Amino acid sequence: MVASGPFDFDLCSRNAYLESKGVKPPRLTKTGTTIVGLIFKDGVVLGADTRSTSDTTVADKNCEKIHFIAPNIYCCGAGTAADTENVTGMVSSALELHRYATDRESRVVTAMTMLKSHLFRYQGHVSAALVLGGVDLRGPHLFTVYPHGSTDSLPYATMGSGSLNAMAVFEEGYKEGLDRMGAVKLVARAIRSGIFNDLGSGSNVDVCVITRGKVDYMRNYEYLMDKTVARETPVVYPPGTAPVLKEKRWKINSTRPSEAAAGGSAEAMDVS
Amino acid sequence: MSGIGTGYDLSTSTFSPDGRVFQTDYAQKAVDNSGTVVGIVCNDGVVLGVEKPIVSKMLVEGSNRRAYAVDRHAGVAVAGVAADGRQIVNRAVQEAVSYKNLYGDAIPGRVLADRLASYVHLFSLYWYSRPYGTASLLAVYDDDGPQLYLIEPSGAGHRFFGTAVGKGRQAAKTEIERLKLHEISCEQGINEVAKILHSVHDEEKPFEMELAWICEASGREFKRVPAELAAAAERQAKAALADSDMED
Amino acid sequence: MEAELNQAVSLGTTIMAAAYDGGVVLGADSRTSTGNYVANRVTDKLTPLTDKVYVCRSGSAADTQNLAAYVQLYLHQHQMELGGDVSVRTAARLAQQIVYSNKAMLQAGLIVAGWDARDNGSVYGVPLGGTLLKVPFTIGGSGSAYIYGFCDKNWKPGMSEADCHAFVVKAVSHAMARDGSSGGCIRTIVINKDGVKRHFLPNNEILAAYGELQPPLPASIAVGGGGAAEMSP
Repeated sequence: MVASGPFDFDLCSRNAYLESKGVKPPRLTKTGTTIVGLIFKDGVVLGADTRSTSDTTVADKNCEKIHFIAPNIYCCGAGTAADTENVTGMVSSALELHRYATDRESRVVTAMTMLKSHLFRYQGHVSAALVLGGVDLRGPHLFTVYPHGSTDSLPYATMGSGSLNAMAVFEEGYKEGLDRMGAVKLVARAIRSGIFNDLGSGSNVDVCVITRGKVDYMRNYEYLMDKTVARETPVVYPPGTAPVLKEKRWKINSTRPSEAAAGGSAEAMDVS
Repeated sequence: MSGIGTGYDLSTSTFSPDGRVFQTDYAQKAVDNSGTVVGIVCNDGVVLGVEKPIVSKMLVEGSNRRAYAVDRHAGVAVAGVAADGRQIVNRAVQEAVSYKNLYGDAIPGRVLADRLASYVHLFSLYWYSRPYGTASLLAVYDDDGPQLYLIEPSGAGHRFFGTAVGKGRQAAKTEIERLKLHEISCEQGINEVAKILHSVHDEEKPFEMELAWICEASGREFKRVPAELAAAAERQAKAALADSDMED
Repeated sequence: MEAELNQAVSLGTTIMAAAYDGGVVLGADSRTSTGNYVANRVTDKLTPLTDKVYVCRSGSAADTQNLAAYVQLYLHQHQMELGGDVSVRTAARLAQQIVYSNKAMLQAGLIVAGWDARDNGSVYGVPLGGTLLKVPFTIGGSGSAYIYGFCDKNWKPGMSEADCHAFVVKAVSHAMARDGSSGGCIRTIVINKDGVKRHFLPNNEILAAYGELQPPLPASIAVGGGGAAEMSP
């Protein structure tokens, strides 16, 4: 039994034991995922698919996997949806406070270090596999962060169950100093490769382009899995469907409600 | 100046109106009334000397030690309240051991001096504790060569070429200033220290001299000066003193 | 596939360090793998602890990266107290203490090497259990098994910097040729009184081992006769 340190992993051992005895654990909503990122001439492009799954069932057909970290930093998340959502949220909040304290733009390494030390503390039990990208005073940065707390700094990176499909596209198409158009196209192609060839990934392509001083978050950049039929309910009534029969206008009383209620004669509160 | 009896001397957690902490001043007085302790840095090491008044004719020689080894490369001589001094020495030993355990190297003199000063200082911060009535002379020989430090009851720490504390400190310091320290070795140094201790001692009362050093002759280890050498130094000191008395 | 990607990221590795008369040379391959997928083919496994002390990392990537970060933190704090640089021995001892006291939680095999004025170049091995070994040279990681013979035969005391560097590059390249978990490029660092020099040998410039085909070199390098490209530290 692991005994030392500030954390207690006894329940994890217990769960593993119960599982080995045939007890079924509750199903987690995972983002069996394709997420990618690359560095181009003037910044970073991040990309993600939009499928989230619960076992083999698609739980959400159009979820968001590119999370906000700071105005100049975004992060793609794969793994347990709850973990990626919360870990990116925590770091985002901490960085916002840090910006108030320092009055400086957040750095990508800071976000990366906070993520990795949190994930390392939890020894892989927080299952968040991330692609972190952004532009700071030292230029564009791209990192992959693994659930156990290891990180890599790379010019192009992929993560999630579709990472092999996406990496194949990158290895073939990536060049140093791509322009924005080429970079976005390559990222979309890598995500499509995951969407079409990996069971865990699917639906649409989200793309986020981060350059110095500007972010272009292109939600559903490619809307691949459009609905084939329109839903009939709820019925949307266009304005004017119901005829207006009578119209009356009031002037809103400018006296404050409390004064009005007290008959306007309430004594001033004694604050001495 | 608001002095004794005004209530500002009851605790280390209260300053007097003119910015003194009387309790640490009193602790320093305990040191000033103690037997003289001398330390000098020679060109090959450090010598520490202690003047120990013999409080009883029945006292066994060599008891009530005031110079202690802290590690192979460091030692301390204490002036003032001997029991307090032992606590400081214990702490110094702990620091030396834990440093070596954590960092693999012997604790450098500067670090040991800083840590001891911080330790002593802690006792002058809280109303429920009393400052140590002890000044410690710390002798170290490390990669940076021989060094001598003084840690006062207030928590102040200084590095010296040579210094003295206790009753005869003024006279002793004057004598030390006359020495050409970088020209003499520790073997000559013990003679000088013996001479100083004898000259500042007021003659009526008997005293025992404790000598310790760390130098080439001691194999760069902190050791008490061998009995024969100490005895020779004492003889030589007494003779020199007799000579100067003749001149008077 | 999913299960494989969730495995711990590990540095199935070849790392080594060797002392020569005025300093040390550290070397490592650049492969990081999860299961049998290469997660990073240009990894830097030579991590600074202080200005002149570096560590070669093998084992779990997460454990060794975070361990190195902690050692860095403690050493820098200690340098504040010291008012100067820590010795290589101190850096190695501290790393060893942390590895030993957390050995149930860690999978980390380290080689700490660097230069200080007292000991010149020195190399310390900190293997899995957390012992501390002062050695003239040492090798580590899965790839090291293939080059014990080579290193025992070819390491000589008092080598020149160039000879020592060539020895390290050759040893690592042989390990990479036989070990599936080692590969990619060869990164080396030379540390001596003059400072820290990094070298980078791209995959296509590594000399082919027995049974391998030498990849065609780009024209510019072929003319220059090949050699280590230098990177700033």
